[in-house]
Amino acid sequence: LDFAVLGATGDEGRIASKYLIENGHSVLLCGRNPSSIASLIKNKKARFAYTDLNDIGRTAATLRKSGAKIALNCAEFTMNINAMKACLTAGLNYLDLGGLHEMTIRQYKLDREFKKRNLFALLGCGSTPGISNVMAAYAVSKLDSVEHIELGFAWKSNMKSFVVPYSIESIVYELTTPPTILKDGKFKKAQACSAEGITHFKGIGRQNTYCIVHSEVFTFYKYFKNKGLRNIHYKAGFPEHSHNTINTLIRLGFASKEPIEVNKAKVRPIDFTKKVLKKIKMPDGYKEFEDIWVKVDGERNKKKIRIEMDCLGKTLKGWEFAGSNVNTGMTIAIMAELLDREVIKGKGVAAPEAAVPPLEFFEELKRHGFKLYMDNKAI
Amino acid sequence: MMRYLILGGYGAMGKIIVKDLFETTGKDDEIIVAGRNINEAKRLARPYKAKRVKAAYADVGNIESLTRAIGRAGIVIHAVHHEFNINVMKACLKTNSHYIDLGGLYHYTKEQLKLHKNFERKGLTAVIGMGAAPGITNVLAKHASKDLDKVDSIDIRLGSKDFSTYKRESPLSNTYSVQTLLEEFSWKPAVFINGKAKFIEPMSGREKYKFPNPVGLQKPQYTIHSEIATLPYTLKAENVTFKIAFDDDFFNKIKTLRDLGLTSNDKTMGKETKDIEITTEILKRLPKALPRISRGYEIIRVIVRGKKDSKQTEIIADAHVKAENELIDKDTGVPPSITAKMIADRKITKRGVFPPEEIIPIEEFIGELGKRNIYIRKYQKNKQR
Repeated sequence: LDFAVLGATGDEGRIASKYLIENGHSVLLCGRNPSSIASLIKNKKARFAYTDLNDIGRTAATLRKSGAKIALNCAEFTMNINAMKACLTAGLNYLDLGGLHEMTIRQYKLDREFKKRNLFALLGCGSTPGISNVMAAYAVSKLDSVEHIELGFAWKSNMKSFVVPYSIESIVYELTTPPTILKDGKFKKAQACSAEGITHFKGIGRQNTYCIVHSEVFTFYKYFKNKGLRNIHYKAGFPEHSHNTINTLIRLGFASKEPIEVNKAKVRPIDFTKKVLKKIKMPDGYKEFEDIWVKVDGERNKKKIRIEMDCLGKTLKGWEFAGSNVNTGMTIAIMAELLDREVIKGKGVAAPEAAVPPLEFFEELKRHGFKLYMDNKAI
Repeated sequence: MMRYLILGGYGAMGKIIVKDLFETTGKDDEIIVAGRNINEAKRLARPYKAKRVKAAYADVGNIESLTRAIGRAGIVIHAVHHEFNINVMKACLKTNSHYIDLGGLYHYTKEQLKLHKNFERKGLTAVIGMGAAPGITNVLAKHASKDLDKVDSIDIRLGSKDFSTYKRESPLSNTYSVQTLLEEFSWKPAVFINGKAKFIEPMSGREKYKFPNPVGLQKPQYTIHSEIATLPYTLKAENVTFKIAFDDDFFNKIKTLRDLGLTSNDKTMGKETKDIEITTEILKRLPKALPRISRGYEIIRVIVRGKKDSKQTEIIADAHVKAENELIDKDTGVPPSITAKMIADRKITKRGVFPPEEIIPIEEFIGELGKRNIYIRKYQKNKQR
């Protein structure tokens, strides 16, 4: 097989798998609940393997047996280390959708192991982290020095119906964990989900933003500090109705990981919430729009300038089930293809801003319906 | 000597009932705080420093346990959830005890009324739905209807305002049972229209309504309530509705949970447990509000329209409930205590199962409420048609 998708039964895994299969690749679909991807499994190019990432040994054996050279990890970010270890054991190159701050730091510690085995692990290959990192690298490359980077996402829908925007576990983690920001060259903790005011976003309009934890703060500093980078700030923009709903769930205890006893059985509220929310159907005609944005402040020829990058995505025809998440699941698949074609090359552990050639990557995104802008001009 | 047994005596309503009984009953009377958590029961009984306040184990889900706990009790006040009403009534029949509860959310009320003959035969009294609403509402409806020759409609509206200051606020400002609240928000409310009971959409009919000061403008909505199960028949009203107001923040939070499917009867986590049960448990664990100064005002309004001397007439009966350093829910805890005392003092002697409007001596009841800072105002609005 060409690729293995870990967490193929989840929202992003399903998108990545569909993309790869429709592009003629053979794919091993790894997960625990095949019923959620029944139609994908029917495809001749696909094979399903029951995989529990808690069991590294078995996951490695499954991966090795598949013959795939590249694994796309689309499972919850809490499983990233396990997935990387399984890939190390089985000898596969690795891509994932990001590990926020703490997990990303832990993942870099496997750098030497990956190098030793002549393997590559590319961390954070979705929309953000992912597209945002490559856009930042592109902007940084146009400057002599960089002082400040602000980035994030903003999305909206054409209806005010609540649809789970992305992994509810990730959202809860992002909104409740005090984020790490880079301020004056030092990492600092900020207040969880602090309001950052209203900003106008390309293709989205005005929206409230919140400071949340994200992996780019760590990786941008790692790769751009030699350019003088001293401040990094990550901001999330949710439509008000969606943010209110998620906030209500968090405030009322529905995101708690502490098990409670109901009728003599233990239940974790977050597991219950996740399962109930899974049943929510997208209304007919529901569409999402998203702006992944980066603002880089720096100097060129001793002049202070700001470069603004935007990647606009929306619900695509044939991908209605994915909403604007298509920019995450499809991006990891695009990067996996580029790695397979050796357009992306590397050894050890890296993030997209250090390994993905921007223009080739942007071309691929544009080919699939995304729009890229630099300072409001289409790239 | 009378023996009063309060099931759920350490719960939110039970606590108020125990306190009121302690303050109003005689030195020879016994007050038994009963429930499944004997330690909680003991903890509540202890500060009264009186031998006549006791604790006892009782499981309302188990008739045997109940029968044992009630023993030779004279009057049982049932302040646990309404799904156990029938159980407790059966245990009262076995032990020859009178019975009072706080309501049956329409459906249970209908079942309870079927036990009328059983109570009558045994020479026992059951007063069902004897809190604030149902309870005071039913008595007010009767009180207002007395001024009319014929009743056409009864509309009940409840509104309250919290003037407390808090050391810590709760993420969900509910004052009564979370389970009852979620049921009120997700079960279809009954309304009685043109002589027929009809079930409408949960949380519907929410619109602005101006209560007298200091409650003011509120947005009452239909909820399932037991008044609709009795008033159309006892007062012969063609139309009966019940609406209660919740503040926007509270309404939106519960609506969010309901809209997301978290209060349904589905069994998402397996065969044993309904989603609404898990949600109830999650909400029960929320930190409680810690008031610095507890202050609240509630208005229970009953609007009765009908004919008097062949003229279309509207009578409004309001209960003004003022709470200063006490819980606003005293209006739910006080009525069963007053009623129990009335049964003990033989001021209530009818035997069988009755809703409040059929059995409570109105003037005396209003007098007792007044002693507890709950005042009734009744006035007439004349409308020529």
